[in-house]
Amino acid sequence: MVVGGCSYKMTKNWFLRGTLKGIKTEKFPAADPLNPPLWPSRLNGSGDVQCPTDAIKDGIWDEQRCIFCRRCLPNYKPTEEQDIFTVRENTNEFRKSLNIYFVDTGSCGSCNTELSTIFSPRYDANRLSIFAVNTPRHADVLVLMGVLTEMMKEPLYKALEAMPEPKAIVLLGTCSITGGIMGKGVLLPEDANLILAGCPPSPYTILEGLERLKGGKK
Amino acid sequence: MDDDHRREKENKNLLHDHMKFHYGPTAGGLLESVSMEFSTPGEKISSVSVNPAFKMRELSISGKSINDALLMVERINGYHSASFQIGFLTAVEKALNINVPDDIMNARILQLELERIRSNLNVMERLCLPAGFGVPANQLSFLKEETSRLIGNVSGHRYFFGTNLPGLCRISVRSLNDRIKEVLYDYEDILDALLSSKIFVNRLQKNGFIKDERMIGPAARASGFPIDARADSNSLDYSNCPFSLTLRDEGDSFARFMVRAEEIPVSRDIIISSSQKIRNNLIYEEEYNGSGNGISRIESPSGDLFFMVSIEDGIVKSLEFSSPSIVNIGLFKKSMPGNVFTDFHFNWESFGIWLSEVVHIK
Amino acid sequence: MILLEYTEFIILILSFISALISVYWRRTGYIIIIIASVLLSVSAFTLHSYITYFALIASISWIIVSVFSISYSKDYGKWITPLFDLTIAGMVLILFSESYLIFIVGFEIMTMPAYVTILKNRSNHAPSFIFMAFGELSTMFLILGAVISMVSHGGSLSFVNNSNDYVLLFFSIGCMLKMGIMPFMISEWLPIAHGSAPANDSAIFSGTMTLMGVYGIYRVMLLSPASMYLGLFLMFVGAMTVFFSSLYAYVSQNMKVLGGFSTMENNGAILCAMGLYVSVTDTILREFLLSAIIIFAMAHSIAKSGLFLSIGSTRSEYFGEKSARKRGHDLGTLLIVMSLSGLFPTIGGLAVWMLLESFFMGAYIHGIIGIASISVGSVIALAEGFGSAAMLKLFYFSGGNNVENKVNRKEKDVLLFTGIILVALFLISTLLILPEYVAGLPSVLVFNGFTVESSVTGSDFGLVSPVYVFSLVALFSLIAFALFGRPRGRVVPRWEGGITTLENYTSSGYSNNIRIMLRSILRTKISEDRISVNNIFWSFMVFSGRAYRKFGGFFGRKFMNSSVSWYMIYMIIAFIFVLFTAALL
Repeated sequence: MVVGGCSYKMTKNWFLRGTLKGIKTEKFPAADPLNPPLWPSRLNGSGDVQCPTDAIKDGIWDEQRCIFCRRCLPNYKPTEEQDIFTVRENTNEFRKSLNIYFVDTGSCGSCNTELSTIFSPRYDANRLSIFAVNTPRHADVLVLMGVLTEMMKEPLYKALEAMPEPKAIVLLGTCSITGGIMGKGVLLPEDANLILAGCPPSPYTILEGLERLKGGKK
Repeated sequence: MDDDHRREKENKNLLHDHMKFHYGPTAGGLLESVSMEFSTPGEKISSVSVNPAFKMRELSISGKSINDALLMVERINGYHSASFQIGFLTAVEKALNINVPDDIMNARILQLELERIRSNLNVMERLCLPAGFGVPANQLSFLKEETSRLIGNVSGHRYFFGTNLPGLCRISVRSLNDRIKEVLYDYEDILDALLSSKIFVNRLQKNGFIKDERMIGPAARASGFPIDARADSNSLDYSNCPFSLTLRDEGDSFARFMVRAEEIPVSRDIIISSSQKIRNNLIYEEEYNGSGNGISRIESPSGDLFFMVSIEDGIVKSLEFSSPSIVNIGLFKKSMPGNVFTDFHFNWESFGIWLSEVVHIK
Repeated sequence: MILLEYTEFIILILSFISALISVYWRRTGYIIIIIASVLLSVSAFTLHSYITYFALIASISWIIVSVFSISYSKDYGKWITPLFDLTIAGMVLILFSESYLIFIVGFEIMTMPAYVTILKNRSNHAPSFIFMAFGELSTMFLILGAVISMVSHGGSLSFVNNSNDYVLLFFSIGCMLKMGIMPFMISEWLPIAHGSAPANDSAIFSGTMTLMGVYGIYRVMLLSPASMYLGLFLMFVGAMTVFFSSLYAYVSQNMKVLGGFSTMENNGAILCAMGLYVSVTDTILREFLLSAIIIFAMAHSIAKSGLFLSIGSTRSEYFGEKSARKRGHDLGTLLIVMSLSGLFPTIGGLAVWMLLESFFMGAYIHGIIGIASISVGSVIALAEGFGSAAMLKLFYFSGGNNVENKVNRKEKDVLLFTGIILVALFLISTLLILPEYVAGLPSVLVFNGFTVESSVTGSDFGLVSPVYVFSLVALFSLIAFALFGRPRGRVVPRWEGGITTLENYTSSGYSNNIRIMLRSILRTKISEDRISVNNIFWSFMVFSGRAYRKFGGFFGRKFMNSSVSWYMIYMIIAFIFVLFTAALL
């Protein structure tokens, strides 16, 4: 990008370099996503298929069980729709800002990176007043990802205890919701306020889900 | 306190224990759960112990079909999923004496290099963060996201999940060459600007120095050991690719940063060259049945990844692999003494450790 | 021999008898000492006569320590009480002495039981031998000073005015050895030796035995002429001691050793003030210095006795690695520690203020004394900072390894009583100081008689009003309490990254900053899991102590089989040697 004949390449000043690059952030969730991934996204189709996690049973697709392994192709096809999340309880308490703290209870690492991606320039969750904090003491929302390992039980419960009220719990990814193929889920899905499906959920799903938890409307 | 100890204290005037404090297992600065205990007399770290067992998952792979095992293997380290899939499949193919077409080989090389670019960008970004370099960190994370999107378009999944299957490789290389050039268009400029910042370079130089025979991957190449499975393993043939070994001699965090930074253009060139050699829809007819033992060694973004698989009638009997991250944790522990605590984050991130690789396979 | 007055005679007899009685009746022994102390303070104390204040200070310390000892000394053998009482008897003799000879005899009576106490409390004999070696060296110098005074003033050993600088020089070196101060050698013998005794004895050693050293110099100083070079020498020695001992106090891991170093630091500061007194001729400053010295000695002795008792009440010796005991509500210890840190509203705050004022006023004197004064003042101010940090460490980490955290109720009351005395002395300090330095500022409602005022060259320098300081602090606290009520606190479990650790900020971590920053002075060595501080002074002391023991053992085997008799013989030889040297001078 060139502004007034100046290229960001002409300066070593980081502030100017950052500014001159222009805005890279998408309008999502106000606008449609620019580059939605095929997998994971809402699946559409019919018929019985071999599903390793029983996510497709009797022709009904359960997003919370699906690990998006593509074995159901070509009976079921991805639609690129990213709204595969469930908000259980929509409170007004986090309307102004949402501070999230995540606990990795045994993930493969991709949920971790997808969550951190929502703070990158493409998505910029900060513009929606969603912030990551460094301790559960400052958190409104505890984001859990991965299956629950034996040694992470104590840190998980301590983090839950350490959070101030009101608090919300988010299950991120199939591992934490139902365990998928990797083990057992972290909590019962009924205990969570927001369930983000996907393996791993795409940043679009995470961003929109958190925005809805905050009380934002599509 | 027994009398001898007391007397010893009196005679030598006074002895004091080092102070111990821990970090983790969950903290905002850690991407994954790991607990570390530092021991320090003050200022300098005298030793550090790492407990990677917090998120150790238990996977029962033996007795599963190759396809089902693959679903788990690709989720051992999701960020290096392609390496794990390809390493596992190569070992299986070795066990069953299956010859894979060159197109598939090239598609695998392409995947590995795409993954390496993203992983190296990730390490570079995470090295900028503790230095407080927000702008380059965001610019690198932008490149990282663009790479992820490119991977999503090429393979259908942003993390290559479900891309490599026995007899199938779901890769589409349409307009990949232009896209990868476009994505990395800014990269060299960002790197130049970063390297011209003395503040950034000083944080990395002489930090976490190590030279050890056991080193692997980028860490080894940063310490002057020419170890790279791409050059000396026959699991994947890189001989027709424009591959050159990146070698540095300093052995510190800066060298590890530079090795990763300089490997990105190399990977880009390999992608461009191999994508020209493959067609779309890589399907080959092979029966993955039979018995045998096979090993493979491929270069994951963090270093050597060995697989040893034993197959019986198409069922995985046993699976073992050597995690580069576990080796790197040992190297990190060894390189930490003598540095101060503020160096710790740089040193830790410079090894590119993924704790998800710590799994217990049954 | 000077005839003692009737009451003095009774007090002396009482204190010696208590030592005998306490062999069988421990508690009675302590009670007799308390009675003797009360008699001593009542009979000897005269308002505005500073030399009698020493008796008051010593009595208060003895009463506190004796009351404390009634419950504390149960845990130790039956020998502890007689030795304790005998030490005090020696000090009573010192306070009554009107001649060098009685003073030296008192000094010996005071030292001998202390030596035995340390010897009996430790399997390692090095501290007691070093204590003894220094005790004898000290006696030699005292005798030297006394003999010079006798020779130059017509053969009298009484305390009379003299015109010879050497009297004060040798006599003060003798006393300084007892206070743990020695030129160019920051001897650690005092902290190690004091740290090796039971806490109540340590309290007596640190609180009042060093006070006797101060008393000795003070006594002779008043009889001696002003001498710039002697004053500068004393200031230099004092400043060196103040600096190094405050540093070592801060890095010490043994609570009693920390107390011992703190004693050295305070005595060093007193010595500096004495040096300034000796070197200047300005009478207003000199008088103010005398007040400062006596207030400082008062603050130090009483608070230091309390400090060692507080350490004793933890029943442990080394710092706990974590603060097992919450000491926030231990008001007595808090006040003691505040006094030793030089904080208002305790007498220690006033003492430090007066001392620093003296040195900064000394800067108005032109020439080398002015420069020395301001430099020494700065060193003392710096050392007070280290001292405060050391005291904070002591307060915070003295929970010790005592898991049960049981503190005897009676002992705690004694500590609280000590703290209250320190505040009370602060409040009545305007009565104790000479009226020339007490004033007021009626224009701002501070009435006459309520401020302590320092002045130099005829104009005011600084002032402080203890009563008003205390009242305002109390008033605002009460207002805050009335408005907001009891402070509400919320205790939440600590977030430690998700796991439970027993990690705490450790006492060694607390002082490692200085260990590492000043590693060239402290000779810090860092090994894989240990960090050690070593110093050449102490190594030298241990070496000389061992050499002395070998020599003494050889001599003892040759001529005498009892070490006490050997000691007596040695005294006589030393006496003759000193007489001979003095005749030559």
